Amino acid sequence: MMGGGMLFRIVAFALAVLTLALPILGGPLAGSGIGISPYLANIIGQIATFALLAIALDLIWGFAGVLSLGHGLFFALGGYLIAMHMLKDGYVNAGVVPDLMTFMGWTDLPGYWAFFESFPYAAALILILPGLLAFAYGWMSFRSRVSGVYFAIITQALTYVAMLLMFRNDTGFGGNNGMTGFVSLLGLQMGAPQTAVWLATASTAATLVAFLLCGRLVRSPYGRMLIAVRDDEARLRFLGYDPVWPKLAAWTLSGVIAAIAGALYVPQVGIINPRLLSPEVSIEIAVWVALGGRGTLSGAVIGAVVISALKFWLTGFAPDLWPFILSLLVLLVVVGLPNGLTDLRLPFWRRARDDR
Amino acid sequence: MPLIRALIFLAALIGSPAYADRAALSSALCAGSVVEQVTALRALAEAGAAGGADEATWALAVVDAVEARSLRCTPTGAFIGEGPDALDAATLAPAPAPVDAVAMPINNRLRAAAASAAAALTLFSDADPTARAKAAAALERRREALSLPILDAALAQETDAAVLAVLQPLRARMMLADPDPDNRIRAIEAIAAEATLRNRTLIEEALTDEPEPSVQAAGAAAIAQIDRQVAIGQGLSTLYSGLSYASVLLLAALGLAIIFGLMGVINLAQGEFIMIGAYAAWFVQNAIRAVMPGLIDWYLIVALPVSFLAAALVGVVMEALVLRRLYDRPLMTLLATWAVSLLLINLVRVTIGTQNLEFHQPFYVVGGIPVVGDFIVTLNRLFAIAIAALAFVGVVLVLRFTTFGLNMRAVAQNRAMAGAAGIDARRTDRMAIALGSGLAGLAGVALAPLYNVNPNMGTGFIVDSFMVVVLGGVGSLAGAVLASFGIGQINVIMEPLYGAVAAKVVVLLLVIAFIQRRPEGLFAPKGRR
Repeated sequence: MMGGGMLFRIVAFALAVLTLALPILGGPLAGSGIGISPYLANIIGQIATFALLAIALDLIWGFAGVLSLGHGLFFALGGYLIAMHMLKDGYVNAGVVPDLMTFMGWTDLPGYWAFFESFPYAAALILILPGLLAFAYGWMSFRSRVSGVYFAIITQALTYVAMLLMFRNDTGFGGNNGMTGFVSLLGLQMGAPQTAVWLATASTAATLVAFLLCGRLVRSPYGRMLIAVRDDEARLRFLGYDPVWPKLAAWTLSGVIAAIAGALYVPQVGIINPRLLSPEVSIEIAVWVALGGRGTLSGAVIGAVVISALKFWLTGFAPDLWPFILSLLVLLVVVGLPNGLTDLRLPFWRRARDDR
Repeated sequence: MPLIRALIFLAALIGSPAYADRAALSSALCAGSVVEQVTALRALAEAGAAGGADEATWALAVVDAVEARSLRCTPTGAFIGEGPDALDAATLAPAPAPVDAVAMPINNRLRAAAASAAAALTLFSDADPTARAKAAAALERRREALSLPILDAALAQETDAAVLAVLQPLRARMMLADPDPDNRIRAIEAIAAEATLRNRTLIEEALTDEPEPSVQAAGAAAIAQIDRQVAIGQGLSTLYSGLSYASVLLLAALGLAIIFGLMGVINLAQGEFIMIGAYAAWFVQNAIRAVMPGLIDWYLIVALPVSFLAAALVGVVMEALVLRRLYDRPLMTLLATWAVSLLLINLVRVTIGTQNLEFHQPFYVVGGIPVVGDFIVTLNRLFAIAIAALAFVGVVLVLRFTTFGLNMRAVAQNRAMAGAAGIDARRTDRMAIALGSGLAGLAGVALAPLYNVNPNMGTGFIVDSFMVVVLGGVGSLAGAVLASFGIGQINVIMEPLYGAVAAKVVVLLLVIAFIQRRPEGLFAPKGRR
């Protein structure tokens, strides 16, 4: 296994260093020569949530062989739930009337917004709702052996329908304007420099935890079972194993991790709208994983970091160029590097790949 | 005044009868009150209607003079124009007007009545049917100088269908105000013969101050009849637009199913191949407009093979550069074809722009055939349905009766065995990709006259066409047809009730529920999984 993989350790180490260094570099050292600006901290934090999202997808695609083209759905679900918490909190505690109420001419928020001012309630929902959604859909699909391309396409359709639903203004989720104008989260004032640093730290920490946890998981006997499902599900069935439950567990866990990533992402960008549910976003997640190399967790993290850093950098001065670069990059990787960057046979990568 | 009238009357007795009438009719315009003048205008129109084309031409000249403010009144009769160049209104012969001639005063009410009379007279004097149709339409708006005898005379001599189509309902509407209840009932029945919401309002308005119970009953029955027909018409037009949406879906989904059935490749760029087909049609239009402007109406027909080939070419290039290397990794083809679609959208966006393209609408896609109620078989939708039907028949024929079709079925059933039997599987793949992409190109031509054509047009179709493929099962043409009609109909039936989103949600839930039972689709090929 890749347990002893050098690359795995390097990525874990980098994440740990980042988690420890961010509060110092962005806190006491901010403004000095080696300190980082809140803007940079914010970018690092966003990229960390993408890495977390990529880990979620790699768990299910790289290890169980189930491609989801709808992980944006879970990501956005987490994002919407945390946005609802922040808006309700601002409404109840700071008296800021959410835009969506003004827009729809409502005097109060709809009933399903109840209790959202409580963070524990919202946090619980962020874990439970995506989990339930993933479980229900996974149970229906895996039980009737819907797999491969069929499964991928239906996840995409599901996300597409969710996008259409969220674009409606009367659903009470902000419609096409989405939700914005957040005041604070857990006492942290939005827009304050320290908030950006803390949110970024939380994101790298969460990514580190998920990375280690998933690494542990795929090395366990359960992980071997997952890999067996990926490599030959029919044979596993003939050997007397039921592949439904391992797949379902990984799928549900993956959905929950994606939702946590979304809940960390939205406070950092300060807005959520249905465009997060567009098919492009979901496919881009798969591109990160494919580029970094499936089934190596570290590859997912590296793919997400490389592509999203490239995107941040490029969209700054040549936004029109990005779709071309992205599509050519995908074609290049898909055709030329079937296992992503792992195929480049760089010194560190080679070990990881041989381990697999 | 009575003296003048007597004199005119006397003059009429002395002169030839026709001219005498004309003198009386034209002089009546010089009467004092507006009411009398309007009556005089109507009398002129009626005289023109009764007296044949000659009389109508004369009356029209006089009415035109009223409209043009060139009618001059004298105690002895009316003149057109001033001074020595004037004409006698009764004879239209040159006759210097006396110096004491005064211009006939004209106000808005008179002008409206004159316009109405002119329109009525045009119906009798103009040989050009389009001019008469225009006059009939004007008469429908301005009824000041209109009377039943005029309409009846016009209906009796009219031969042009378009003019009749305006005049007949107009007569029915005039009859609604007839003093005889039986005539009113007949009018209501005549109006109800054409079941439109406009006629329904017309009858409703007439019934509001209708004293006669029998007329009220007839009106209620007529409204019920219109309601029934309108409902049938609405149902039919829903089915019809579902049918046209389904045919575009079918075109896109057939291509998808062929490629997927053969190679296990899902082409996420299929929507963009539709877009390429539509853009190719646009280029064909521009080329024809530049080279042979006279044949511009036929560009959609010329575009059919061009768009097919354009999309097929892109498909073949995609196969050669990308898909060929991915046949053993079907999930990767999803990413690859998605990248191709992103590339195509942005290439078109950068080179041609994001605006909606403008298409010339040839006569065979404009308008429609009214059937019942508000249901019109619109020709642009019929065009899409016809293309889909022809393409479907073509695909069936290719699959059943050509060597290529035989090879394709063989490769789809068992690639290795087909190869062993000497079939070049790779070549078959290439041709299947060309066929599948070309079908999407045809969908682009079908959409050009009825849809916004822009770089993003394909994205909306991709999800629905996949649902068709999933539901219809792979490699089954019957399944694809049934599924696209089902999904097309659900979409249009749900949309007006619960909105476009709900339609998509329902389709998706149905599909998810459906594949629980039959994961391989409606018409799965039999065999082990």
